[in-house]
Amino acid sequence: MNIDYHALLPEFILAGTILLVLVVDVFLPERAKWFAMPIGLIGVVGSLAGVLSLIGAGTRESFGGTYVVDEFALLFKGFFLVTAVVVLALSLRYFREGGFYQGEYYFLLLTSFLGCVMMPSSRDLLLLFLALELVSAPGFLMAAFRKGDVKSNEAGVKFFIIGVLSTAVMLFGMSLIYGVTGGATKLAEIGVALDGVSGEMETLAFAAILFVVVGFAFKVSAVPFQFWAPDTYEGSPVPVAAFLAVASSVAGFAGLLQLMFVAFAGQHEFWVPIFAFLSIATMTVGNLVALQQTQVVRLLAYSGIAQSGYILLTFALVTDDAASNRNAFAAAVTYILIYGVMNLGAFAATVAVSRRHPTLGVADFAGLRETAPVIAVGMAVFMISLAGVPPTGGFWGKLLIFQAAIERGGTLGPALAVVMLVNSVASVFYYLVVPRQMFLRDAADPSRLRVPALVTAVVAVAMVTLVAIFVLPNVFARLAEISTLVGLGA
Amino acid sequence: MSAQEYAFTVLAVVGGLSAIAVVTARNVVHAALYLVVTLLSVGGVYLLLGAEFVAWVQILIYVGAIVILFLFGLMLTKAPIGRDTLDNQQRWLGALVGVGVFAGLVFLIQEAFPVQDAERFETFHATTDAVGESIFRNYVLPFEAVSFLLLAALIGAIVLARKDDAS
Amino acid sequence: MSDYYSSYGVVLAVLTAGALLVAVAFTTARLVAPNAPNREKLTTYECGIDPVGDGWSQSHVRYYVYGFLFVIFDVESVFLFPWARVLESIGYAAVVEMTIFIGILAVGLLYAWRKGVLRWA
Repeated sequence: MNIDYHALLPEFILAGTILLVLVVDVFLPERAKWFAMPIGLIGVVGSLAGVLSLIGAGTRESFGGTYVVDEFALLFKGFFLVTAVVVLALSLRYFREGGFYQGEYYFLLLTSFLGCVMMPSSRDLLLLFLALELVSAPGFLMAAFRKGDVKSNEAGVKFFIIGVLSTAVMLFGMSLIYGVTGGATKLAEIGVALDGVSGEMETLAFAAILFVVVGFAFKVSAVPFQFWAPDTYEGSPVPVAAFLAVASSVAGFAGLLQLMFVAFAGQHEFWVPIFAFLSIATMTVGNLVALQQTQVVRLLAYSGIAQSGYILLTFALVTDDAASNRNAFAAAVTYILIYGVMNLGAFAATVAVSRRHPTLGVADFAGLRETAPVIAVGMAVFMISLAGVPPTGGFWGKLLIFQAAIERGGTLGPALAVVMLVNSVASVFYYLVVPRQMFLRDAADPSRLRVPALVTAVVAVAMVTLVAIFVLPNVFARLAEISTLVGLGA
Repeated sequence: MSAQEYAFTVLAVVGGLSAIAVVTARNVVHAALYLVVTLLSVGGVYLLLGAEFVAWVQILIYVGAIVILFLFGLMLTKAPIGRDTLDNQQRWLGALVGVGVFAGLVFLIQEAFPVQDAERFETFHATTDAVGESIFRNYVLPFEAVSFLLLAALIGAIVLARKDDAS
Repeated sequence: MSDYYSSYGVVLAVLTAGALLVAVAFTTARLVAPNAPNREKLTTYECGIDPVGDGWSQSHVRYYVYGFLFVIFDVESVFLFPWARVLESIGYAAVVEMTIFIGILAVGLLYAWRKGVLRWA
């Protein structure tokens, strides 16, 4: 049993930070409880340094090949750790002034991020399941963190019930796969074993794949498993909603990418129609319902659902052609990263506005150009980017998916591309609602909104990043190329 | 039918019926007690398959701790007991979906692993030693990850259940 | 494998004998004992005083807290059983692994202790 300790350095640092945050919280006096956040932040930055130290070292395998640290894993680990820095920054003032339990919150948040960091490296069904649970379980608890609030309790309960139900279904599918492949749990071995299966065993394998996909479809809030998302996002504290929308969703996609493109790659004739259906349903329902939303967090939730639909589209583009699969994979990874930046920015702006308007209706954003100009411009950029309009990074992400769909050919590729185009155009209507409020309406209270410096910094950096992606797409293209080196059958 | 198949049939029928009783019982405490019967019969099935350690873990943890937690939760929240309090508008649709999924799964699993071929799958005695070797040699990372999961559950549950005093 | 089944067959026989004993005792009592209920005999026994209110009162949250502390540490002790069996064959690596596991959960116990969760009153 070889254990490559250097490969596990980010996880070790993060695990140590988690325990340190908890111990420190036990001994801190009440008014200093916020100090757990800087400690967590230092730990996360240290973990990020660990990830950077692993770049260029090639693929490292540990624990008998079940834990692999390659470029794909490093890319996602880096993304998750940067997201952790952002969510921590957004949480400091929010949780300090909201009367929440702070130390425990930072502990739960970092534990969830530990699961996120483990997810892209897990090449074994058991580890994949455990990483998914480690991401979800603190999420259930964090969603219900506002203890006296009915909406928060509702958010936690809904998330929990639907979450454990889908975990149960997924686990059943995994156990069926274990039985059909004769005991293989490593993803690569499953891929080989499933290719050799035929007849009724194959039908059972298809059912098992369907169950596993259902489990992950919940995590990425695909239709018809998206019912938990709007209520959970609305009821939880806004930084927790940001975490769920970005880190939790992307962790689900990381697992799904590994499963579909490595373990179940040979069965793509079965699951491509399923993903096509999921993608079309998710895009359409997400966009249609978002048009009717009057609360900003619910709007962002439905927008997130629609964005998941665009990412799921790339799964429906898989064929026997390895080069075209690589295109689809690269498009998916790139769009996931850009989606993370856009959503984090949007939620950061929402956190800023929530200081004055805790209910966060769309009308509460009125006149933001006077009360908080940086936040207003940032929010406008994020909304435009989410709609996929140039000159922002979101346009380029959507273009990549569009290209991959057209290049796939056949009837499915262009059909999906057309659906995506129609949906993107429709989504502009609700993405422009908030900028219209910010720039064309006046605020009831025109005094300056005092936004915490960290939040402004997040909004500014995200805004600049999105414009930079559009201006210099080559940097991101390089990242996408790196990520395609995951065992895509080479 | 051999003795093991006979025992399995009894356990399966008892377990299945009590599982249906869990979701259809009018009294919540009765539902929790039917859950005990269901979990015990699952433990019995594990014993029949030769998974001795898993069977006793099932009985120790599920029956011995988790059902107790259910009952404490019921007593704590003063759960309503009565004829109409546990009704659900979608009962029949839920039953339909449940029966459909069950029938589909039974059909698929029977096709892939027919009962007549049961002799080719021999059971073996999965001793505690075997489980220990497996965990501490091959599955160390999931084992340590489980400790973080348990810790998160512990802290979160304390946060949610704690009385909000001055602190 | 067959002595595995035969030994559990013995366990089943003992359980059946126990259940049979209880069943026979209660059935015999039901059949043989006189049964003449009246209204006062059927009221709930409450230490000789007249019963007041309904039988369902809300309990204190500390029982629940102890309940789930037990669940968590029960799962931990379940992992100790196979560890003890293979400790000798695996050696120091197993000691380190289990120490990490117990250490992480001990931090949880420290947290519970300092937050006053373990206090009864």
